[in-house]
Amino acid sequence: MNFLISLALAIIFGSGAFLILQRGLVRVVVGIALVSNASILFIIAVGLSRGQPPIYPLPEEASVSDPLVQAMALTALVISFGVTALLLAYVYRLYLAHGSVDLQDVSRAERREAEALERGEPLRERGDERQEP
Amino acid sequence: MILLSLSVGLPWVIGAVFAMLNGRRPWVAWLAVAGLAANFLCISLLGARVLREGQVEMVAGDWPEGIGIALRADALGIAFALVSSGVILASMLYEVILGVRSRTFPAFMLFLNAGLVGLFLTGDAFNFYVFFEISMAASFVLTGYRERDQQVRAAFIFAVINLLGSVIFLIAVAGLYHLTGSLDMEVIAQRMSDAGSAPALLIATAIFVAFSLKLGLFPFHFWLPAAYIGSHAPVAAILSGAVANIGGYGLLRFSGHIMPEQFETGAVVLLALGSASIVYGALQAVSRFMPVEVMAYSAIGQAGYILIAIGIAGSVGYEAAVLYALVNSLNKGLLFLATGLRGPLVGAAFAVGAFSVAGVPPAVGFVGKLELFLASLTVGGVAGSAALVTLVFLGGAVSFVYSFQVYSRIYLRPRENPGKPDPAPARVLVILLAGLVLALGIWPEPLLVLSDAAAAALSGGAG
Repeated sequence: MNFLISLALAIIFGSGAFLILQRGLVRVVVGIALVSNASILFIIAVGLSRGQPPIYPLPEEASVSDPLVQAMALTALVISFGVTALLLAYVYRLYLAHGSVDLQDVSRAERREAEALERGEPLRERGDERQEP
Repeated sequence: MILLSLSVGLPWVIGAVFAMLNGRRPWVAWLAVAGLAANFLCISLLGARVLREGQVEMVAGDWPEGIGIALRADALGIAFALVSSGVILASMLYEVILGVRSRTFPAFMLFLNAGLVGLFLTGDAFNFYVFFEISMAASFVLTGYRERDQQVRAAFIFAVINLLGSVIFLIAVAGLYHLTGSLDMEVIAQRMSDAGSAPALLIATAIFVAFSLKLGLFPFHFWLPAAYIGSHAPVAAILSGAVANIGGYGLLRFSGHIMPEQFETGAVVLLALGSASIVYGALQAVSRFMPVEVMAYSAIGQAGYILIAIGIAGSVGYEAAVLYALVNSLNKGLLFLATGLRGPLVGAAFAVGAFSVAGVPPAVGFVGKLELFLASLTVGGVAGSAALVTLVFLGGAVSFVYSFQVYSRIYLRPRENPGKPDPAPARVLVILLAGLVLALGIWPEPLLVLSDAAAAALSGGAG
């Protein structure tokens, strides 16, 4: 069981890390979601013990599995869900600004601004690039 | 007791109410300022009590000790909470004077304050993670405030990198729970010495990486310039003066209190990375042009000083680390706010902040540098302590160079197009902050007492 869980954890975390390094912004968000889910699986694995479900009334003699990890996993799930939604909103906003969800287009725009900064020009106001297709 | 729950709970409740109101209306924004000020007052009163009577503790929901989730205010937490919420209050005032542009801005400032205060005052490792995520989520939104393209990009980068850090921290918390069977920081600290050294070292490494990401230390700094340069001046002040404190506080709490042995094993790594940060930050800052850019890179260097003090450890090292972190928050808050303004006397305020970063008396930065010098002298071995003293001195000299470069470039040259000066109240606020930095430099007693008590709380808890 321990081996299976650690294998699953490794695969999920690895796929997430791979996706974060991709160019598409949506893939980056999916990667973040996978990585945070790997950490939730890790929390569950931390309390991995055989026992009855910890539901009241508790069985008399049998051992009960750890309920605290489940509370932690639930909390962490809710947090990662909310933050993923926020990230997706940012991706949409970037798509509106640059007309693309490719990291290269976004970083090209950033380089242009960095060069402008080096020439000592002030940063541009919002919406300058919105006209580009 | 009531003060403790008020300090953590007040910004929550007010924040939830303000999330439904339109923050662009001046009366709403001023009410939010009043809420933040009331919270600041609560924390100050709580701080006075903690300094007088020692640690204040409360277990939520009247559960018996060891079962319920504990809130625990000691001098270390209070010191960081006080400075962070002070910086947030000043930035909020600044933005309200200049005009809030987004309806959710006041609510997110309150949520950020709630998350930060909760994080500094909690006694539970998992709760630490939850508060950490609350304040991070609020700061992700705040980084994108004003919604210029570059700000949205900065917010995206900031969010992705910091989420990775949070995941690493969550894994470390789960590991601590597995090793010690508890989430209460006191209990973890007691049982840590019985834990096996290999897993404990792994967890310590994960915690170090997670907090270094927040603090923006050298190999983990890559997100920092983009986020600080992109964001609006008061937001940059908050990121650098309040949110970065999570990293400093977390490192101090976990290294000094919870797992001192593991961090002592890695002391050489801490010192080396701290030195690399100082050198890298200072050199990058000298070569930059815009004041915001210079200050962003300078923040990396300043984080290095804090790490060095933590690496030195012992009561002298922790005292220097706490003092330096507090002083740095004040400096950075003042500097980022000043870079956003134009008009008479703003240059003077900026100069006070810049010289405080460089450690020139009578500004408060001098006190921080002095403590750091004293701490470096206690390092074992003449060569090690000489190298550290030289490094701290050189770092100070270079920061003097870049501060003066920026000052002369921006304020000593007649502007071709001076533009309209910003409203007087905003400038008065920045000048008052500069006055505070000077006053604390001339009379550093309160800061010294606070950081002394914080260091004592750390080493007392470790025993």
